[in-house]
Amino acid sequence: MKIVVAYKWAPNPQDASVGSDGTVDFSRAKPALSEYDPVAIELGRRLADASGAELVGVSVGGKDVASALAKKAVLSRGLDRAVVTADDALAGADSARTAAALAEVVRGLDDVAVVLTGDSSVDVGAQLVPTLLAAQLGWPALTNVTAVSGTAGDLTVERAHEGGSQVLHATGPVVLAAATDAVVPRVPGMKDILAAGKRPTDEVALDAAAAGAVAAVEVVRTAPPELRARRGVVIDGSDAAAAAAQLVAALRADARI
Amino acid sequence: MSTSYLLVAGDARIETLLSLAAGSTTTAVVVGPRAVAETVAASGVDAVTWLGEPGDTPLEAYAVAVAGIVGAARPDLVLASTRPADRVLAGAAAVALGAPAFTMPTAVAVVDGGVEITRSVFGGIALETDRVAGPAVVVVDGGGLVASADDAAGAAEIAEVAAAPVGTLTVVETRPATRAEVDLGKAGRIVAVGRGVKSQDDLALAEALATKLGAELACSRPLAEGLGWFTHDRYVGVTGAHVAPELYVALGISGQLQHTVGARAAGTVVVVNTDGNAPYVREADYAVVGDLYDVVPALTEAL
Repeated sequence: MKIVVAYKWAPNPQDASVGSDGTVDFSRAKPALSEYDPVAIELGRRLADASGAELVGVSVGGKDVASALAKKAVLSRGLDRAVVTADDALAGADSARTAAALAEVVRGLDDVAVVLTGDSSVDVGAQLVPTLLAAQLGWPALTNVTAVSGTAGDLTVERAHEGGSQVLHATGPVVLAAATDAVVPRVPGMKDILAAGKRPTDEVALDAAAAGAVAAVEVVRTAPPELRARRGVVIDGSDAAAAAAQLVAALRADARI
Repeated sequence: MSTSYLLVAGDARIETLLSLAAGSTTTAVVVGPRAVAETVAASGVDAVTWLGEPGDTPLEAYAVAVAGIVGAARPDLVLASTRPADRVLAGAAAVALGAPAFTMPTAVAVVDGGVEITRSVFGGIALETDRVAGPAVVVVDGGGLVASADDAAGAAEIAEVAAAPVGTLTVVETRPATRAEVDLGKAGRIVAVGRGVKSQDDLALAEALATKLGAELACSRPLAEGLGWFTHDRYVGVTGAHVAPELYVALGISGQLQHTVGARAAGTVVVVNTDGNAPYVREADYAVVGDLYDVVPALTEAL
């Protein structure tokens, strides 16, 4: 039995620069393991340890997905091994292409009981890849998952649901997107980082036919975000009472209070 | 005329979907209880396809059936809300159509049999306009309920289609919410707190201000997801609530774009921050540069 965690090696848009024409430049933003993926890996590690399964990480993206830095950063989180498609044709791929390529990697593994993902990626943040991946595989998908236990064909899944929670039973393979706070991921220590060097990362070539099954998206134009004009009034708060009085007067003048 | 399919999983709040589908013939595919299908039918759609009572099957298990319906119809545009089960239906429909799926749209148009969409990208730091030759799937905050027409004659007919859900998933137990979720999207005033508040006890300062203003309390992401001081429904940001209050007061929030995107539609933005160089100071209507532990009590007092 295998437990698969789909992860993303991606830059944080906070470190990107945006041109006056809305072009986004990620050249100075360093990619890293996407922020919610450690939660999915931790959830997978605990399930694998409890069930004796192997924990396999899968990822797709540009060449840097297979870089030594990425391998070490990801494997030190607790994966037994990783399988990636690292092809620059997938750099910056949209959700649908990413999911199609991920599905090809998962299909190459046998005996997969569950695919776990993070809540959303740090860069695109669409929360769609787990649902698209499930559809590619013909499996059901559940999101906001807070706990999972059991073995292949007999999984118990708990998820946040309409302010409460829900317990579900899955008798077949399923894609589960972890809630952002499902578990607290471990921080890799020196031992984990050294062990990561010994664990393998295999590469799978991009299947052009599978990638071509998703309609191409043509970027017509980009633009900077539409921001409301703000007044930009800065009030010195060193005298708190005076600052409060000034602010209250301004908000009253604007009829906001 | 172009055709749009609206995918609805158990929640009839589809105001935004309908407005994006304006001008096209709309079919809603509804999974969940019949009452939801009836509300949707009275919302102004042209037709409703209902997949029957779900029983103890989670709505996500209908994704394959919904994908079959959408794949056969090949509409120009598919719309779904960002709610969890709705997203699963949208993903399945996109794969059935071989279509891309987009989020955070600001404008969507069917043009020459394809779709042109303008959307926020990378958490809202830029806008991108894309063109797809075929159909596209668009996932967007569903908005509110649509006021239904009073006369039943105005409602669309509900066609029940027997659909087999994926048989591998069952709901074992549902534990209802032990508290009411807050809908920040409806709040007229919001007081939001961030990492500038040092301990959970100090939230009392913000609570006092919120009470005085008649505002809802909200937070930036670390307070909901890392510290757990707030429940997720009070988190404003790119993957949380997107709010549009008349007055938004941000206390101790530096203004990283992942947060400000969620409050971009606010009428007046007030920021209290010790750091005059914090990004939010430049993006505020009024920024008080000072210690919130002094400024917030003074402000509560002055109101």
